[in-house]
Amino acid sequence: MIDVQNLTKRYGQTTVVDALTFTVRPGAVTGFLGPNGAGKSTTMRMMLGLTRPDTGSARIDGHAYHELTYPLRHVGALLETSAPHRSLTARDHLLWLARSNRIARGRVREVLEMVELAGVARRRIGTFSLGMGQRLGLAAALLGNPPVLVLDEPVNGLDTEGIRWLRELLRSMAAEGRTVLISSHLMTEMSMVADQLIVISRGRLLADTGLSDFIQRHGRPYVRVRTPEPERLARELQRNGASVTRSPDGGMDVVGMQAAGISRLAAAVGFPLDELSTHAGSLEETFLEVIGEEAIDGAAADGAAAGGGAIGEDGRNTRV
Amino acid sequence: MSETFAAVSAETIKLRGIRGAHLSLLLFALVSILIAALDGWSAKGALDSGNPSLRADFTPQQAGLVGVLYGQLALIVFGVLVVTSEYTSGMMRVSLLAVPRRGRLYAAKMTVTAVAAVAVAAPVTVLAYLVTQLALGSHGASLGASGVPRALAGAVVYLTLMCLFAAGTAAIARNAVIPLAVLLPMVLAGTHLLSLIGAAKEMTRYFPDQAGRELLNVDSPHTAFGFTVLLAWTVAALVWGLVRHLRWDT
Repeated sequence: MIDVQNLTKRYGQTTVVDALTFTVRPGAVTGFLGPNGAGKSTTMRMMLGLTRPDTGSARIDGHAYHELTYPLRHVGALLETSAPHRSLTARDHLLWLARSNRIARGRVREVLEMVELAGVARRRIGTFSLGMGQRLGLAAALLGNPPVLVLDEPVNGLDTEGIRWLRELLRSMAAEGRTVLISSHLMTEMSMVADQLIVISRGRLLADTGLSDFIQRHGRPYVRVRTPEPERLARELQRNGASVTRSPDGGMDVVGMQAAGISRLAAAVGFPLDELSTHAGSLEETFLEVIGEEAIDGAAADGAAAGGGAIGEDGRNTRV
Repeated sequence: MSETFAAVSAETIKLRGIRGAHLSLLLFALVSILIAALDGWSAKGALDSGNPSLRADFTPQQAGLVGVLYGQLALIVFGVLVVTSEYTSGMMRVSLLAVPRRGRLYAAKMTVTAVAAVAVAAPVTVLAYLVTQLALGSHGASLGASGVPRALAGAVVYLTLMCLFAAGTAAIARNAVIPLAVLLPMVLAGTHLLSLIGAAKEMTRYFPDQAGRELLNVDSPHTAFGFTVLLAWTVAALVWGLVRHLRWDT
């Protein structure tokens, strides 16, 4: 369990993380989403004791990271900005990590085999490809068999097979009751692996909810329709208040009328339907929608702030 | 306590794996012994031919300590590299994930650096002395000559403290360029040249390398003074480095 309370980080005038509060629960994969510069990496670094928050705290199973005895046995972490020394071999890198946290030596071989680097264990890390470096980072995160995983962009550089392997690994870790937090900018990937979502933008929390709840609440469901008479059906639908988007493959996406209504309307006017299916909207579209709204609201709030400084400051706090 | 031992043990593995670290230690041994041999050999030539180019205060005992004074350049590079290899590669973040207590990580690294410096400096210092005496042939002094064991021990202390001083300055700067650009010229020539200027002479006695060099002087009356001054510099550099390390926001 990761408990983030009122976490704030400023660099000069810029507030990178703004009074964030959320909880990452065990037994699920939690996706950490936000546009570039939203403060995801900074938040993760604060969880791991690398960056000092200005206010608030991040606790892992009740402890600040630096209070953990042999932390690698509690938390497995992968950060974009951390990199092992290039002249060490993969094996030596994992060996010193194991030694620093009194993890059995045999575990080094195990994790090297898990990430399929056993064959290059004695090669210097400087000679590794991006994907191999990423696998080594994952091996380091798994080394202490930790109940909590914090992974920043873990699929970066992995090939299709590697991504699939990681997806299954994360799902099985969560099924074992571990806490798994991952950030990714790949929405399709995220929608395949995450159960829970934490969405932030400009350092502020936008959503902390289940993946399907998020899409249901913020996404736009649409109905896919295909008919030999697209133009005439579209006209009928629009006359009845639905909005229609024609797609190049001859089908159309209908918003504002449910499948049952469309089916009855088509039957009444005598058009056959070749396809009629309801879609929940993708995570990507929903995410962009939510981020877009926030950007507009944010711009409005900033405009108000420019009008009167003191009020703007208050407004910002109440918005959170 | 066992967490600290674990951290020290981990630092040992890192040190073994980092290439620049071995190379600089190897270079320290090679340069020290090579200079020791050349110094003894040329002094023997001068002594045999009655050449007056030798310094007035030449003694075979003191000549045996010249090699490591040049070798120390490599040991300074070692002290700097051990620390800066972490900051420049992103390794420090990995290290802090494994050992989040910053004071502990710092202490572990400096301990391993000191142990490595002693472990290499002690045999090389003795060997370099013996090589010089061997090269001096019949003019050579013995290992047990008056004041020599003490000066050899002093040399090991000097080399170790200089190495730690370098590591401390590297932790302050967090990069290799500045400490090397300051320390290498200083040790090689700077303070020696300054000491030739009358007014600066009194001041240079308090420079770390000039003060510390009293430790290497056979029968020096200023050993305690030199040790104290160098120790003060080293402790100051290490403490400042620690403060910088504690405050480092990644």
